[in-house]
Amino acid sequence: MRLSYPKRIFLTALVMLISLLMIMAALWLPPVDREIEVMDSLFVIDITDSMNVEDVSFGSETITRLDWAKEYTRQSILSMPCGSHAGLAIFSEARSLILMTPVEVCANYHDLMQMLSQFHPTMAWARSSEVSKALYTAIRQAKEITPQPTVVFLTDGHEAPPVHETLFPKFTDTPGEVPGVIVGIGGSDLVPIPKTNEFGEIEGYWEINEVMHKDVYASSRGDAAELNNNRPRTEHLSSQKKSHMETVSRRVGFEFISSPTSPQKLIKEMQKISDTRQQPVKYDLFVWLASIALILLLLVFLPYSLFTKQHE
Amino acid sequence: MSWSHPYLLYLLPLALLPWVSRNTEKQIVWESLLPHDTVSTVMGYTLRVMASIVIAALIMAVAEPHIPEHTVQRSGQGAEVIILLDRSRSMDQPFARRHTYRLSTKMNFKESKRSVARYYLTEFVSSRPDDRFGYVFFSEQASGILPLTYSKETTLATIEAGGLGRGLTKTDISVALKKAGEMFDGEVYRGARIVLLISDGGQILSAEQEQRISQILQDNNLSLYWIYLRSVSGMTLDEMPGESVLWQGAPERHLHTFFKSLSVPYQAFEAGSLDEFAAAMKNIDQQHYQTLLVERKMPRESLADYFLWVAMVGLLLLTASQIYTWFGVSRAYRSTRH
Repeated sequence: MRLSYPKRIFLTALVMLISLLMIMAALWLPPVDREIEVMDSLFVIDITDSMNVEDVSFGSETITRLDWAKEYTRQSILSMPCGSHAGLAIFSEARSLILMTPVEVCANYHDLMQMLSQFHPTMAWARSSEVSKALYTAIRQAKEITPQPTVVFLTDGHEAPPVHETLFPKFTDTPGEVPGVIVGIGGSDLVPIPKTNEFGEIEGYWEINEVMHKDVYASSRGDAAELNNNRPRTEHLSSQKKSHMETVSRRVGFEFISSPTSPQKLIKEMQKISDTRQQPVKYDLFVWLASIALILLLLVFLPYSLFTKQHE
Repeated sequence: MSWSHPYLLYLLPLALLPWVSRNTEKQIVWESLLPHDTVSTVMGYTLRVMASIVIAALIMAVAEPHIPEHTVQRSGQGAEVIILLDRSRSMDQPFARRHTYRLSTKMNFKESKRSVARYYLTEFVSSRPDDRFGYVFFSEQASGILPLTYSKETTLATIEAGGLGRGLTKTDISVALKKAGEMFDGEVYRGARIVLLISDGGQILSAEQEQRISQILQDNNLSLYWIYLRSVSGMTLDEMPGESVLWQGAPERHLHTFFKSLSVPYQAFEAGSLDEFAAAMKNIDQQHYQTLLVERKMPRESLADYFLWVAMVGLLLLTASQIYTWFGVSRAYRSTRH
């Protein structure tokens, strides 16, 4: 199809005019509000001795569970859209200790990482690892924070001293009131746990006679005591306690994911369970408007004659 | 200057399109029939150059040129403050209770020492725009969980977190002080450096610990402030005549004596009431407005608008000439048909 000369001139002028209007719009149109879904999260990281076990792989390397937890937290924070908030907490003994309440992830990424890098077993204030109690305190403290964050609890699930199934610490809150995810870390084989001295240096391993192998409270109860006595004496060794973490997560209404390979898995899980907030962000449309203007102009100047001539 | 989408710059050769396109030319039988007109030739080239510029400018605008976020140094008024907030269990006790010989058995008071300290620290941090804050978390070991930062948001979030939950059983002020000093290791000296200790108790330090703390405070040129939250009203850090014998030799007094013997500036504020606490914070606030080198984060600045302006002006002229051409052409065609 060939257009007559005046028509071509007219069309060119018209397209240029539209393109010009697009550029003007790109220059002067105010940014529009766009809603993005953001969430508030609180990462609780297990810093007890069992986290020093080197039995998780990261790429081709084998690293400690704690390093893996830190790296996974970093990647997860990085995967969150700007406007999301993340807080940091550590857990040792029987409680979680919040070190930073949730802050915006993009503007404060540097500070979040600085704090995360400081997490080390030397920060522990006692030498026990009561996972379920620590989880309960994390939930209780999360409730004190507004807006209430989704708890991400990174642990290998190793309870020291061990708890007997029937004598589980009671969870007095409503399950699921605070949404959360337990991220299980660690290999499936029982391996010795490095022991740290007061300076955080690894000094040998926990020996079989240095740890408790049974729930002391269960020993005094007739029915449980028998079961308790038959337990294997393996508490000085550690592996990822999947079934235990599943039980705990059911009890508090959390999700459980074991050794996730990508942060997206956690983010998706969190988006499913947490109350995401809509946060308006200013969005400048100039790129789109300028692109339209550019495409229109290119249409004007495309060398159609090179293609059409051959048909004549 | 950097580009958000640098690969789009590969499209730049498209700016040559106006030189190969003949869309707006009229086919004529023989080129030599055209009269030679220098003005027209120059006009034709000018319009093509302009079209090229417009296309190039648009491509560059879409690639989003910008000056990335960067920091600039300028001088401000303020100080660098390391906060040492005691997280010990005793901080859960009520602030400034009356002197009785019975310990309270109630827990979780509204006005626990920790919540009071948190409240005033928050006020303090918010009122000092140029200060750089750091935060040391300590139990038996200390770690500088928040290295010196300008971010008010993270500082406040860390202080707020310090008020959550119950206190820790064991805390060691000596490791905390040492850590606070170490936080300045490797930092350029920018201005006043303060260690702000907020605690309700003292500790008897060994000679070796004292020596190390005094060394590190001196090496890093620090000033020490101690806001002492009195658990029992009436007791002072300095001995007073006719006071209760129970107070003599209290650990906090030992610590106070040690601090006074230091060669670095030291000041103690004894807060026995909310007003006194507020006054102490205000006092520190007023004392530390010295010149300080501060880093300001300059937000990312988009430069796309400049390119859009170039494109707009160019296209405005092009469009105008095209519309003018159209008027001329349509008039010419109309007249020939008559």
